[in-house]
Amino acid sequence: MNFYLTAVLLGLGFASLALGIFISMRIFNIPDITTDGSFTFGGAITAILLVNHVSLPVIFLAAFFGGAATGAITGFIHTKLKVNALLSGILVMTALYSINLAVMQRSNIPLMEVSSVFSSFKLFQNELTQQFFVLIIFVILIWQLISWMLKTDFGLAMRATGNNESMIRALGVNSNRMKIIGLGLANGLTALSGFLITQIQGFADINMGIGIVILGLGSVMIGEIFSKTFRIRSIAIQLAFVIAGSIVFRLLLAFALSIGIDAIYLKLVVALFVLTIVSIPNLKLSRD
Amino acid sequence: MKKIAVILVLFISGCSQSQENKEKAKIPVIGFLDFLQDETLSQAKKGFFDALNDSGYRENDQTVHIIYRNAQNDQPTLVQACDYLISQNPVLIATCPTLSTITAVKRTQSIPLFMMVSPRPDLMKLTNEFGRGPRNLFGTFETLEYIDTAVAMIKTVLPGAKKVGTIFNQSEPQSVDALNRVQKACEQLGLQLEKLPVSNSNEAQLVVEALLRKKIDAFFALPDNTVFSGMEVIVKSCDRASVPVFTSEEGLVKRGALAAFGADMYQWGYQSGAQAAKFLRSQTTEGLSPQQVTVRKRVYNSEKAKQFGLAFDSTFTSVK
Repeated sequence: MNFYLTAVLLGLGFASLALGIFISMRIFNIPDITTDGSFTFGGAITAILLVNHVSLPVIFLAAFFGGAATGAITGFIHTKLKVNALLSGILVMTALYSINLAVMQRSNIPLMEVSSVFSSFKLFQNELTQQFFVLIIFVILIWQLISWMLKTDFGLAMRATGNNESMIRALGVNSNRMKIIGLGLANGLTALSGFLITQIQGFADINMGIGIVILGLGSVMIGEIFSKTFRIRSIAIQLAFVIAGSIVFRLLLAFALSIGIDAIYLKLVVALFVLTIVSIPNLKLSRD
Repeated sequence: MKKIAVILVLFISGCSQSQENKEKAKIPVIGFLDFLQDETLSQAKKGFFDALNDSGYRENDQTVHIIYRNAQNDQPTLVQACDYLISQNPVLIATCPTLSTITAVKRTQSIPLFMMVSPRPDLMKLTNEFGRGPRNLFGTFETLEYIDTAVAMIKTVLPGAKKVGTIFNQSEPQSVDALNRVQKACEQLGLQLEKLPVSNSNEAQLVVEALLRKKIDAFFALPDNTVFSGMEVIVKSCDRASVPVFTSEEGLVKRGALAAFGADMYQWGYQSGAQAAKFLRSQTTEGLSPQQVTVRKRVYNSEKAKQFGLAFDSTFTSVK
């Protein structure tokens, strides 16, 4: 069952990305395309600093704030320069392609014989158990932190910005600032996913972020279906479902790979699996 | 809830079923990890399996069990496909092309890997500070030497050529390395090189058209994934402008380039396959090491030669 465990590991690695997308969706109600670039940006920063033997806490912060800066730029372009939010994301994502190449100096950096977040404090002999343990702690911390943050006055104002911008402005909140901070936070989280995935797979690649926003959106949607089915109001549990969504996505792909579907139909089958999962609760509701 | 339970049961039974398959098969399992599908890469795959076939390892005879996985150009999928192959306890994994090799090297330190369509380990940055590559990495690699000959060929076929155009893929390390080599080779031959970057095959047409506006005399197609995917559109644009396409891979000549010098993808896969067969027979990796591609040849496309009114001597083999 090691194979399914590795799928869970990847799911946990992408959990932070899914939380990031959850936040940008809540603030904007639109998918933030910057994600494709900021994910790779996080990975690129991680790889180049790791091979230069920079200490992990520094790398962690560099990845988070690097990603946050890209999100803030998208927010700035959208709110101050009045560019459509989707286009702002696309522009920043496109520009990041060059930035990422410049950061990495080449398009692919394998991590040869460097320490990683998984090797820095060794608790288990088994490599996978060790990775699982580190990732679980990491994800729980992020999950608790974001849940707490969204329950503070600041977090409530942020969520309200997404729900009703005119109302929140009437209450004296600077909604533009909210959007910039929200997108910054979301992309910081995304970059942390890049930080983790780079270390799980052992290399950073310029194309690692392509289509990743779809993956995050998928996780968020799967999570929301669970929340709706079980009528969950608590933000913490909603976020937990989003994380579960990220893991479910990976497990479905793992399952599709293991039953040996013809390579041509792989993506079709994964899409059908996801469709099945998300439509079950609705089928049940319609019969009621 | 009932339906969710049904799905879960199906899922778990599916998982256990694949376990059973594994136990049933006492014959050696061979994994093949492919990153994407295209005409040229499938040549290497065919060569690999033909080599196994010729050494008596056939799926049909139950002498080997082959598990093929293709990540369809998606990196998270590639990692999971690689994990799946590893979970099936294969005796060896074949990897094609570079990104598959890098992924597999990072996922397993014990299963022998037979690479193809990948550059020398140090060009992939897979060597440590002492210049040693991964211990479990075997198969066949290519260096950049072929480029010098391939570029020199432009000068012999078109003595009047002054300006050579090329596109390169910024997202592939070997493409950038190859470009630098092309640049050097051109300088030595007194050719001027016009180069433009692309990042995926959708952009290929536009970028090639931009190059053609610079009045190039010949187009040199670097064998990278963008060219492998978008060869037809490159040839179409160059044909309209009557600019011959040179390259370094036979398969690309079949797909419309004028002439090439370089590794033959089929033979490249075959060479890795022959090495894998040797390993299957001896059950040991002793004496095996990554090898350089041995079969490089000069080929030309006779139809294109007629179109451009060019003649090729007997050192070239005609393909089509």
